[in-house]
Amino acid sequence: MTINRQKSKDEVIEALHGVASEMHDRMAKGVPPTMTLPVRSKSNIGFDKRLGVYKYGKKKTVRDATALGSARQLLRALHITEFVEGMITDGKTSTLREMYYISEGWGHGKFSTQNESNNLAEDLEIVTKCLREDFGLRPEEDGARIIGNVTFEERNRKGDWMRINCRDDVGDSGYGVPYNVESEKLSLIEEDVDFVMAIETGGMFDRLVENGFDEEARCALVHLKGQPARSTRRIMRRMSEQWNKPILVFTDCDPWSFRIFASIAYGAIKTAHISEYLATKEATYLGITADDILAYDLPSDDLSKQDSNALVAELSDPRFSTGWWQEQIQLMQEIGKKAEQQSLAKYGLDFVTDTYLPEKLSAMGLGY
Amino acid sequence: METSEQFSNKQKQISISEFFEKNKHFLGFDTLQRSIITAVKEAVDNSLDACEETRILPEIRVEINRLKGDRIELITQDNGPGIPRNDIENVFGKFLLGSRFHAIRQTRGQQGIGITGVVMYSQLTAGSKTQVISKIGSDSSAVYVELGIDTRKNRATKSGERREIWLDDLTGDPVLHGLRIRTVMRAKYQRGRQSVHQYLRMTSIVNPHASISLVVRDRNGEMIEEGNWARTTEKLPREVSEIKPHPHGIHLGSLQRLLREAEERKMTSFLRHNFSGVSMRAARDILAAAGIDEGRTPRRIRAEEAQEMVSAFQKVKLLAPPTDCLSPIEDLLIKKGLSKAIDSRFASTITRNPKVSNGNPFQIEVGLVFGGNLSAEGPIEVLRFANRVPLMYQQGGCLLTKALEAVDWKRYGLEHPGGRGIPKGPAAVLVHLASTNVQFTSEAKEAVADNEEVFEEIRLAMLEVGRGLKNHLKKNSQRKKAREKFELINIILPEISRKSSQLLSREEPDLAPVITKIMDAVFCEEELDWDDERKLAICSITVYNYTARARAYTILAKWPEEDGVRIDENALGGRKEAKGLWAWRLDTLNPGSSTTIFFTVSGLTKGEWSEVDVFYRGNGEVIGATKIDEKLLDELRKTEALAAAELELEQQTETMGHLSDRAEHNSPDPATEPTEQVQPTLFDNYEAEE
Repeated sequence: MTINRQKSKDEVIEALHGVASEMHDRMAKGVPPTMTLPVRSKSNIGFDKRLGVYKYGKKKTVRDATALGSARQLLRALHITEFVEGMITDGKTSTLREMYYISEGWGHGKFSTQNESNNLAEDLEIVTKCLREDFGLRPEEDGARIIGNVTFEERNRKGDWMRINCRDDVGDSGYGVPYNVESEKLSLIEEDVDFVMAIETGGMFDRLVENGFDEEARCALVHLKGQPARSTRRIMRRMSEQWNKPILVFTDCDPWSFRIFASIAYGAIKTAHISEYLATKEATYLGITADDILAYDLPSDDLSKQDSNALVAELSDPRFSTGWWQEQIQLMQEIGKKAEQQSLAKYGLDFVTDTYLPEKLSAMGLGY
Repeated sequence: METSEQFSNKQKQISISEFFEKNKHFLGFDTLQRSIITAVKEAVDNSLDACEETRILPEIRVEINRLKGDRIELITQDNGPGIPRNDIENVFGKFLLGSRFHAIRQTRGQQGIGITGVVMYSQLTAGSKTQVISKIGSDSSAVYVELGIDTRKNRATKSGERREIWLDDLTGDPVLHGLRIRTVMRAKYQRGRQSVHQYLRMTSIVNPHASISLVVRDRNGEMIEEGNWARTTEKLPREVSEIKPHPHGIHLGSLQRLLREAEERKMTSFLRHNFSGVSMRAARDILAAAGIDEGRTPRRIRAEEAQEMVSAFQKVKLLAPPTDCLSPIEDLLIKKGLSKAIDSRFASTITRNPKVSNGNPFQIEVGLVFGGNLSAEGPIEVLRFANRVPLMYQQGGCLLTKALEAVDWKRYGLEHPGGRGIPKGPAAVLVHLASTNVQFTSEAKEAVADNEEVFEEIRLAMLEVGRGLKNHLKKNSQRKKAREKFELINIILPEISRKSSQLLSREEPDLAPVITKIMDAVFCEEELDWDDERKLAICSITVYNYTARARAYTILAKWPEEDGVRIDENALGGRKEAKGLWAWRLDTLNPGSSTTIFFTVSGLTKGEWSEVDVFYRGNGEVIGATKIDEKLLDELRKTEALAAAELELEQQTETMGHLSDRAEHNSPDPATEPTEQVQPTLFDNYEAEE
């Protein structure tokens, strides 16, 4: 299933009507209406060799109107269709949160949480093979921050292109990545870096910035803000593709951070329908690894029950099926410990930039 | 009816005033917060007991006013028999004076230690005299007197005695009979689980025949708390008879005292006259076992011989003591009391049959309420009572609590983490132990001491109300599922059809076949409403056929049929199948159609009937109803016919006096009321089939 970018308005509306059509056809036949979509779990993602990322497989789930919950979902899908059709016709966009509030007026089709509406918007993307941007829906979450000697051009609200160098034209908080990083909004102009480093936590990002690591190591620093937003993953993908720079991912050492890496490198389970747009298959996991906890004798915490369960789940996650990951996960289970990025501060504030990262980077052939 | 003169004549005296002064912590006066509760408790318990003994419907008012410092003024007033002028000092100034100390029957205060404590506490802490106004029915005026206590001489000091016309300060009318006490003491008023308010609320639950009110005022006269618990039944607790002690429960000391005071000349008559459960034959067996000659004079029995008798009591087969000395609240009244005090959705109550432990008759009652306004957070509320007296302290160490905790509540639908401790959820459980001799863990009388037989009875009662709860919850979830389906086909599906047709500019499809596919079942939905104006319970039962075939059913509904409770409107012409179980034969239901049975029941009070059990006769499954078990129904009919025949026979032999007595107390005779016991089996059986 591949999503074709740049769909015309009519194509989007037609795709959405396909959803309504499935329901109507069934009712006309005297059977309960349904909505068919791929199973969205780790059991139904597989490696697409052609694209080099993980995509949904062939398993389908049929949501039918024989139970109240799924019948409501069907009704909501119709309401979204109507709403999106209206926006497309009027040339408007709205945030997912706005749509959630607008659903207050949808009577029995209203959402009870925003998570529900976000998920259903994703469902519709998958079924219609459109992007939510095609629907005029955008996230309110902002993307990441970038600091380093790279230059973008962004089209501002007035419609003018603005040139921004992410080292010289920004403050300490860096360049804020907009929610839309497609070519109509953002161009990659030039760079003078050797690699891009994505960092999980704000604390570590700020530490590297304060220590001037971006200049010293000639890199662009990207703050992921936990599980990275679509635009964050997309801009890393574009930097990797267009500038051909290695992407290194620097996170905590715990099962959730492994998933952050997997969503960057292989595609997230929730967005596997657009993995080829978001995933950067060239991304490399830099640390902190379970080995590092032992090698650097880092302060660590015991794994919680949830942590242990997450590790077990990851062992059977196809994205972690490589030998290196299996080893890391098993080692972590063995020592029963996890560690934060900032545990490196045990050896002083400069340890991460003076010792840890240089050692890790030279092991990868990126020494400076 | 016992007059109040006779009532106080029986009082005997034991001198322990000084003991009290030194041990007031045993008696509930150990903290300032507790003292006011204890004081209210002693006054209210006395009022309730006096009213009960003289067959008066109690009206009790409690007024608490905060004064300067940590002083509190307490005023209690009742409409009881009053105390004759000459007895006032005795009642308020002596310990262990109660007529109840020597008689064996169920009363609230068990050892007569009580209101004297309040007088003494007031005197010791606030130097306050206790002012008493008492009016008895036969006097034209009331007596006013101020009391203190001489703790050395164990008697009251009386002052300011005068006669006066007592006018009620609320109504202004002359008071016919009653008692009013005013005193000032050091105390602290607090709210919450251990408060005067909670004590009175609990008291009102187990005394549905009493009207109780509470007003608490702050120093500036502003009302800070109030409570009003109106009477929900005119029926007084059953008059209890006194019984003689049973040999199984007697200790050596008591036996020796009885022997000393005996006027009988022969041991056989001594045993038969002074004990319950002892026949002539049993008396002979006891004496033989103890090696005592039948003709011996009781007063001459030596201590070691008495000891032999005590062991012989345990060896010989004896009749159980009579149990009419107990006064259970009775399950229906518990239900009323609980629904008055707690707003809930569901109530299940049980009064177990009386049992005997160590020669002491006892009876267990349990009530459980669920849902409604009850908080779903935290442990359930446990309401403990011993002889209608609320127990508010030492919950954890109390047998009543332990028995509750021993039930696996998870099986009955309450959260019970680890199967230990008090279960959690939106529920409250009431446990009432009625006994001629409640054994407490200490003098404070706040926790019932361990006893295997009592424990087991409570556990069994808990299981019974637990089953009721389980059925209720199961029904709730069935009902919820049915509601969801109805919402689905009546609201969501038509909207899906409308919206999709609109978007696609197509015609709306016919939904009837779709609905049949989705539902594919027969549904039954019942509703029970209360019409407060007409005092009618309104029941409607609707049966929907959402299958593709025509269906025919007979619907049976259970309702609380009893004397004075009857079906008024019955449009579809239901007929009786058994007592409290009526049947309606429905016309053939075509696919997609529905029928509603509607009937009203008069003679009930609000909350008395909260759930309709619906059964059906016919093919297939009806969601929301239970298939009737014909075999059990037959048995039920037979038991009923038998009971009716027995009753008729009994009535022929009974005197008119007995008959009117029966009508007055309206006490349900287990033999004539088989429905309550047999009906649950119909349901249990259904469950077992699953």
